[in-house]
Amino acid sequence: MAASSSETNRYLKQKQNRVLRYAVLRHSVIIFFLLTILLPLTWVLMLSIKSLPDSMRGNFWPRRFDFSHYGYVFDKIETLPYNLFNSIYVTGATVLITTFCAVLAGYALVHLKPRGGPFIVAIFLSSLYFPTRVVSIITVYEIQDYLGLINSTSGLILPYITLNLAISVLIMRSIFQLVPHELIDAARIDGAGPWRTLWVVGLPLAKNGLVVVIIVNFVTAWGEYLLCATLSNDQLVRTMPVVLASAHGGMGQWAWPRIAAVYIIVVLPGIIAFTFAQRLFFKGLMEGALKT
Amino acid sequence: MASAKKTILGLDLNTWVFLLPALLFFAGYQLFPIVRVVWISFTDFKYLTNDPPNWVGFANYIEAVNDPLMWKSLGRAAYFTVLFLPGTIIFPLLLAVLVDRVRNAKVATVYRVILLIPAVIPSTLVFVLWKWMYNYQIGPINYFLVEIMEWFTYRNAPQWLGGTDLTLPSVAIMEIWWGLGYHSIFFLAGLAAIPKDLPEAARVDGANEWQVFWYVIRPRLQPIMMILVVLRFGTAMAVIDEYLIFGGFNRAHPTYTWTVFMYDQAFKTGLWRQGFAASIGMVGAVVMMIFVAYLVYIFRSKD
Repeated sequence: MAASSSETNRYLKQKQNRVLRYAVLRHSVIIFFLLTILLPLTWVLMLSIKSLPDSMRGNFWPRRFDFSHYGYVFDKIETLPYNLFNSIYVTGATVLITTFCAVLAGYALVHLKPRGGPFIVAIFLSSLYFPTRVVSIITVYEIQDYLGLINSTSGLILPYITLNLAISVLIMRSIFQLVPHELIDAARIDGAGPWRTLWVVGLPLAKNGLVVVIIVNFVTAWGEYLLCATLSNDQLVRTMPVVLASAHGGMGQWAWPRIAAVYIIVVLPGIIAFTFAQRLFFKGLMEGALKT
Repeated sequence: MASAKKTILGLDLNTWVFLLPALLFFAGYQLFPIVRVVWISFTDFKYLTNDPPNWVGFANYIEAVNDPLMWKSLGRAAYFTVLFLPGTIIFPLLLAVLVDRVRNAKVATVYRVILLIPAVIPSTLVFVLWKWMYNYQIGPINYFLVEIMEWFTYRNAPQWLGGTDLTLPSVAIMEIWWGLGYHSIFFLAGLAAIPKDLPEAARVDGANEWQVFWYVIRPRLQPIMMILVVLRFGTAMAVIDEYLIFGGFNRAHPTYTWTVFMYDQAFKTGLWRQGFAASIGMVGAVVMMIFVAYLVYIFRSKD
């Protein structure tokens, strides 16, 4: 008895060791990848608090810190508040309008069962595979020129809305497919019109998908380059990313640590907002976004 | 009264109101521009002239197809796609399989949140970030290679984005980094849908971890893989923003792909030949679509 029990013990211990070794290996690989994600961002964070001479070298830890760059960029770069405002304004409007369109269309495609529904879905789906954004830029410029919207910050909103419109509608559609028809019908029989049904019954159940659509549209509009760079040439009407992409170091306003400070200011809101919304975001992704 | 619904084209008025905003924007800024580009590609259209554009038939297409730059620039886009596509599938797949086995819920959440950070960094900010990473003088990558490892000196350190053979691989690494988390989450969603007793049963039957992955898990991830390959093929072939930011309009630069060629002809070259540019865009798009159709066909026939 004693011999066999010690044998099983040894066997269990061996197995335990193997499991442990495996777990250590697994976590090391994951952590390696996570570090490759975090290190570039931390490096830029460090760059934004380096002194000017230290910023000319690529080292991680500076010899002298300088925390004044954040104040400097707001004091001395006169165009910065404009660009920041443009970004907030264009992104806000784009997210709002696209989400509104996507919720209505997604809901209608599932629960109002329009006759041409499958056709609309097919067109939206195929637009995802065609390089629309690139090829259409020639005509989008023409349209904006025709409407007098070249060099207009508000004018950017129109093409921005369509950047993610198709995917947003498809995401909302697959989210609304999870809402049972019986629930919608019950509300309808109780005398609620389609607007009330959507607002009271449909929307609360589509919350997770809504978060996904908002985040996806925010990320696209906040970082859009091609349209903004093409449809405007005045620094004052441009959004933040276009200004950042053309900033080139040196010693003046756009010295490296100062660009880095602007960079951190621009990149942080998205990351913070996401961290707070991540539970809903993951749920939404799992529920519907990945099924389209 | 309530039953006397107003209908237009057989559709309830309310249904139209719901669909109209999305359809209007889609028609105005996606459908119409593409149709118009197709039309422009058959004319000598220019923004700047007041003369009405003339129909020129296939002249623009003949010129585009006979321009060696057309094929060279398409080749560059294809080369980039080949560099980018395997990495953006394999690394996230590996990561997803590993993260999926983390049992501690809190640790798993932390992993996922960090994984998704690149996905919430807007595109241009990713490019600005990596412009720093690859910077010849102040970039941390060259700092590591020169000062810490001492494999290079600042005289012969690699010019990552400087138009050398390293440029497209460097851009590909950046893009793989960008998609790492997002694609992992795709695969994690697929893994979550696999019933846990399936791999367990295979293990009880004596399958090792590799066999479990290859015979049990991989076939069930096939649909997600298919969508990712086709979608990312499309984005990789049509990359433009990062090429404009990194390379500009130097025709010898490896980032001068068909998209940049089109943009150059439409907006930068003094001639402003939008008709010719449109035909370049259409040739590129058609070549892409042929490959997309082929990819969809390959994946379909396996089922």
